[in-house]
Amino acid sequence: MGQRTAQTEKALSVDELANRREWWSVAQKTRSKRLDYLRKGVWKKGAIGGNYAPGIKIDLTLPQLFTEKWQEQEGEPIMLQKAHAIAHVLDNIPIFITDRSQIMGYIGSAPHQIVWHWQGISMVNEEIYNEEGIIPEPEEESLEILATLNDYWGGRTAVDKLARILDPEDAVKFMSGAIGWGTPTSAATYSTKDFTYIFKGFEALLAEIEERMEETEQKLQGNPSPQLLPLYDKLPRWEAMQIVLEASIRYAKRYARLARTLAEHFESDPTRKEELLRIAETCERVPAKPPRNLQESLQFDHFVQVLARYETFEGAWPHRPDYVHGPYYDKDVNQEKRLTKEEALDLVGEHLIRTYEVGIFAPKWAREGLQGITGTWVWTMGGVKPDGSDACNDMTIAYMQAARLVRVSNPTFGFRWHPKVKDEVLRECFECIRHGLGYPSMRNDPVLVANTVHWYGHPVEEARTWVHQACMSPCPTTKYGCQPMRMASATANCAKMIEYALHDGYDPVVNMQMGPKTGDPRQFKDFEEFFGAWVKQMEWLRNILVRTVNLGRVKDPEFFGRPFLSAIYERAVETGTDACDPSNGERGNAWVTGFTWVENADSLAAIKKFVYDEKKYTMDQLMEALNANWVGYEEMRLDFVKNAPKWGNDDDYVDDLMVRCLREVSRHAKENKCPSNNNWPLLPENVSGNIHYANLVGALPNGRRLGDALYDGGISPGPGLDKKGPTAVLKSCGKFDHVTDGRAFLLNQRLSPTQLSGEKGYQLWKAYMKTWADLGLDHVQFNMVDDATLRAAQKDPEKYQEVIVRVAGYSAHFVDISRKTQDNIIQRTVQGLG
Amino acid sequence: MATCKDCKSFFAREDDRSQGDCVMRVVDPRQAYYQATPVETEKDASKCSSFQKK
Repeated sequence: MGQRTAQTEKALSVDELANRREWWSVAQKTRSKRLDYLRKGVWKKGAIGGNYAPGIKIDLTLPQLFTEKWQEQEGEPIMLQKAHAIAHVLDNIPIFITDRSQIMGYIGSAPHQIVWHWQGISMVNEEIYNEEGIIPEPEEESLEILATLNDYWGGRTAVDKLARILDPEDAVKFMSGAIGWGTPTSAATYSTKDFTYIFKGFEALLAEIEERMEETEQKLQGNPSPQLLPLYDKLPRWEAMQIVLEASIRYAKRYARLARTLAEHFESDPTRKEELLRIAETCERVPAKPPRNLQESLQFDHFVQVLARYETFEGAWPHRPDYVHGPYYDKDVNQEKRLTKEEALDLVGEHLIRTYEVGIFAPKWAREGLQGITGTWVWTMGGVKPDGSDACNDMTIAYMQAARLVRVSNPTFGFRWHPKVKDEVLRECFECIRHGLGYPSMRNDPVLVANTVHWYGHPVEEARTWVHQACMSPCPTTKYGCQPMRMASATANCAKMIEYALHDGYDPVVNMQMGPKTGDPRQFKDFEEFFGAWVKQMEWLRNILVRTVNLGRVKDPEFFGRPFLSAIYERAVETGTDACDPSNGERGNAWVTGFTWVENADSLAAIKKFVYDEKKYTMDQLMEALNANWVGYEEMRLDFVKNAPKWGNDDDYVDDLMVRCLREVSRHAKENKCPSNNNWPLLPENVSGNIHYANLVGALPNGRRLGDALYDGGISPGPGLDKKGPTAVLKSCGKFDHVTDGRAFLLNQRLSPTQLSGEKGYQLWKAYMKTWADLGLDHVQFNMVDDATLRAAQKDPEKYQEVIVRVAGYSAHFVDISRKTQDNIIQRTVQGLG
Repeated sequence: MATCKDCKSFFAREDDRSQGDCVMRVVDPRQAYYQATPVETEKDASKCSSFQKK
């Protein structure tokens, strides 16, 4: 494959390329000239391995504009001060219109620039100062600007403020990097957005705010009482919302002005001139007023997402764009025939590209954990309407088709499968998977709706509106269901539960006493005693993360402030509160992300079998081998790898332990409460945390050594350890309840592209999906790229720029992930179906 | 003294003639675009390397 000359490659027809399964070449040959130009023109913002691509620079205009206004407004309530600063940015930051583009809006001054959010964490600000390659020229001048900004923000960031009130011991343990990751602030966050409210238009929201303010001012003129006093704090918050909404309308109108200027003074091509005038009309209309057509609805949507990211680092993109934009597509394409399907596809494809081009600086640890992407932007497709009927529409299909044409790795899709999904839609999902995109992930809608009701008490009609809050967790998009802040700062490195149970709470990698002292396992009399130690370590690990995030959450309005998000949150507008204030009616939708989870089940099974049941080894021998990182104990290690029971083989011995662990966690999840007094269920998944934590988790009884990659999924078997085929994997995963035993469970599967070619391949996959659904699993996602292609891409990355793989809860271009992650994906078992 | 309003790249705002956009054509290694930066009409442009007299 890699030996073909450029000449023969050019000569191959689309059909021939499809037969060779070179879907990236098929895409390049079949997409429109506009999409081809825009796709190839994008600056890649996701880090390659852990580093930014050459030419990517940090945007210094944004923090300078923000800070100069912020300093002028010193002394105001934080939300008002921030609103003034954001408005100053939106009025003054350079904007641009890329040739051939039709959707406007970018976070930053130029396409190759990425922004960073200097109000979040001082340590990240310092990291930027020392990051090679991203400082704009002239470097010396830029470094001086950065130093001035860092001097000012040092001690003033959201996390700096939080750190002053955190328990110092908790802070040290968290900062060790061993037990979890994330930042307990909405400075690094993501938020659900209710477009049924937002699409009323910002002028309507402004009118609503004005009405609230007038009502409140009248109340304040009445009889003085303690009940009136809190109202004084609401007025500046509403004023802050007004300021950002008005600035947002002005920001859109700047694009309208530029488009009109280009049409009148620069553009000679009549077709492009017409497009520019349409862009001008669109940006004059939205977000001020409700959208009337597909271009306006996509533009409104993109402005909202961009504006939210001017306010903060939104690292995920909870959204359901087929549901939001479907009616506009239907009106334009089917009813009024204002757009052809091809023209609509151009807009949809560009929507994906505009999203892909967004770049926000992330610290090194986050870049390693999310290789190749800026954030986990999983868009939700399909599903049901609030009344339970099928919600799939022509836009669902358009997004799937556009995704195969532009082949971006961000956003990806998660498809809400349910029994009423039409075959034509299911085929579109399969085609995306067959084309090697790694998405959509398949989500079991009835299970996840029930799960959402079970864990948080969301009414079923609201639960049915759910979107992926990040990679995996469903969240309703309703007034009281929307979640304004990332709660997954409670991201646990779960392999530490078993490691600490083995080491009396001591961490042998970072050399600190971390968890409680649960005893030397050599002294334990039976497996039950060992399991009891595991439970205590599990509870400790969850508690430290959850209490930190809870504190960060309630303090966020005081330490950070979200005027824009508040202005588009119905409950915040209604109550004059910050959107992140948990007292404004939010029902709660928190979860603990569980990285490196399955190692617990496999390690516990190995200990139970070899140490306690068969007494093949003593605990002393096992501890010696683990303390030596298995060095000098290779024969014993291989015994633990090959002969101890492993998750994913339909073996009750280990599967029962997995179920037992999950039920212990679920019990504890109901004892942990979020600030809205709701539960904290576990959600096992990994992004690329299995690689990030490889050097932070010591030797384990499943035979893993310090430095070896951890298992890749949330409930995926270890690579190469699932020996009994795909149905056995599904059966293992079906032994626990995906409604009550946790929040969601990530399952990676690799399928053979050869076996799944043609109609027969689709039917095989459909039968597999039926088994998956019948067993009640909530999630599965597929890699369907063969080893030969992946190995060729390792050798010649330039030729395989658009080859995509599923990493974990997200997809990435294969050439953008580290060699270790690439090898880990190749090692995954290819499952033969049928 | 040359000011922004004397420049070919300057386009005054209709709603406020004291402000305008400096519109520049940029061709970077991946894509071409027009960039608009807000400027004041009477801003001193004598040191601007992109200044082009109308």
